[in-house]
Amino acid sequence: MARQRSMRRRVTITALAWLAGFIVFFPILWMILTSFKTELEAFSTPPSFLFFDWTLENYGIVQERSNYLRYAMNSVIIAFGSTLLALLIAVPAAWAMAFAPTKRTKDLLLWMLSTKMMPAVGALIPIYLLFRDSGLLDSHVGMVGILLLINLPIVIWMLFTYFKEIPGEILEAARMDGATLWREIVYVLAPMAVPGIASTLLLNVILAWNESFWTLNLTTSKAAPLTAFIASYSSPEGLFWAKLSAASTMAIAPILILGWFSQRQLVRGLTFGAVK
Amino acid sequence: MADVTVIVPRRASERRLAIQELIPKLVLAPSFALILLFVYGFILFTIVLSFSGSKLLPDFSTWVGFGNYQRLFAHPNWITALKNLAIFASLYIVICSALGLGLAILLDQKIRGEGALRPIYLYPMALSFIVTGVAWKWFLDPGIGLEHVMHQWGWESFSFRWIKEGKYAIYTIVIAAVWQSSGFVMAMFLAGLRGVDNEVIKAAQIDGASTFTIYRRIIIPLMRPVFLSAFVVLAHLAIKSYDLVVAMTDGGPGTATWTPALFMQKFTFGRNEMGMGASSAIIMMIMIFSIIIPYLYSELRMGRRA
Repeated sequence: MARQRSMRRRVTITALAWLAGFIVFFPILWMILTSFKTELEAFSTPPSFLFFDWTLENYGIVQERSNYLRYAMNSVIIAFGSTLLALLIAVPAAWAMAFAPTKRTKDLLLWMLSTKMMPAVGALIPIYLLFRDSGLLDSHVGMVGILLLINLPIVIWMLFTYFKEIPGEILEAARMDGATLWREIVYVLAPMAVPGIASTLLLNVILAWNESFWTLNLTTSKAAPLTAFIASYSSPEGLFWAKLSAASTMAIAPILILGWFSQRQLVRGLTFGAVK
Repeated sequence: MADVTVIVPRRASERRLAIQELIPKLVLAPSFALILLFVYGFILFTIVLSFSGSKLLPDFSTWVGFGNYQRLFAHPNWITALKNLAIFASLYIVICSALGLGLAILLDQKIRGEGALRPIYLYPMALSFIVTGVAWKWFLDPGIGLEHVMHQWGWESFSFRWIKEGKYAIYTIVIAAVWQSSGFVMAMFLAGLRGVDNEVIKAAQIDGASTFTIYRRIIIPLMRPVFLSAFVVLAHLAIKSYDLVVAMTDGGPGTATWTPALFMQKFTFGRNEMGMGASSAIIMMIMIFSIIIPYLYSELRMGRRA
């Protein structure tokens, strides 16, 4: 009897959890499905869930009308450019903090992380003026630079937590065997650091891809990424739903895929280490 | 620099030692300098601007003291923004924490397919607020969204036009923000739940405590640090809230959904009130500081003790 009851309880809880999951995912799913409908079908009564004539025409129209690919390209350049540059600066810094820690290292890290919580508006005016005076407004260089700056603390800190897991004895052993600093880095450190670096890269690409405060305020068209593009679909108009869905689906597709692989890092990064 | 010249390494091993001492500091320097400049340099500039009479352009010849701050707090739009922040932040933090905790407890029951559910709950947070904001705006628009669909289904009297009504529009932003963040709060709580010592729970079970009692009396009190982290993360997100509002209502209808960040942006660039914009930014900085400084302090103290 007791067993049966616990079984029933278990089924109820599982069903509840999946129901909640369905509710959470429904808006995203609906958007993706709508993107494959014709505009008429998107408004049909009752709404067709799966049984409609799947079409790709929205995707073609979005590209044709608004040059979607250019925005997508901007997103790729900005997200990957800023991430790779940030890694270039952050890998040595995190390495130094993980393997040559001082009394201050922990405080320094915490301070760096706290800067990520600051409101961006605090730096908007000086950065806007700086960009305007040096012709960086609406440029790839400027956007890569600004996203590098805002995400650098989190990149350093993520790398630090990964590097910290590499046992220091191995390095000492290599040093004992007479490995030069260079060899130590290339043959010992690099192979063990790659997974951590890859995870950090993934997280930061997602963060940079989604960034919209700076992209909305500092770009207009030339360097505008997908977030700015989607924001331009401002006024809801009839017979436009499917196209908006197609544009949005294209904007989030890479994140849906990357996010699946990096959920752990996402939680870690977004909570500033509150969750390990 | 003087130290470096004193150490003239004779032998290779000595030189290597010196390099190994120096390199960590050298490679850390650029990051340190960049963050320092970004955070304090630019914020300092904003502070200075907030005391100047800057309008369209920065103006360092007229100084108005606290004039910008006085005008700021006399301005109805700023008051609206503060009121909205109060409504938004309190509802957002409370509802997200409650839902997040509920979902985490559900997932903690070792249910089937947890591995697949976790990323699903998390997805909204991984997506750009702009994309989800635009989607919500369309979804809640009376002409094409929920209301329209209900009418077509024959429920003619159904009415849900909050997003068009000044009094209720801010609540639609709460709905979207809760949807976006609950799963993410769930992930924080789940990690906390998993961190609770199993022995304690087993002992309570042996003593005949019900699951509900175990959660209420043992597990949840043990998770106080997680609640604190969740509060800090949610509160700072609420104060910074910008993109979701821009995407959903752009502050409208009228000025009904202005938030402090929106105020800052609109006054600085839309109304050429750079000085006032700067002062509003500083007020926001103070709000964030008053949340993160006590938090950091407690974190540091905990770190020391450990």
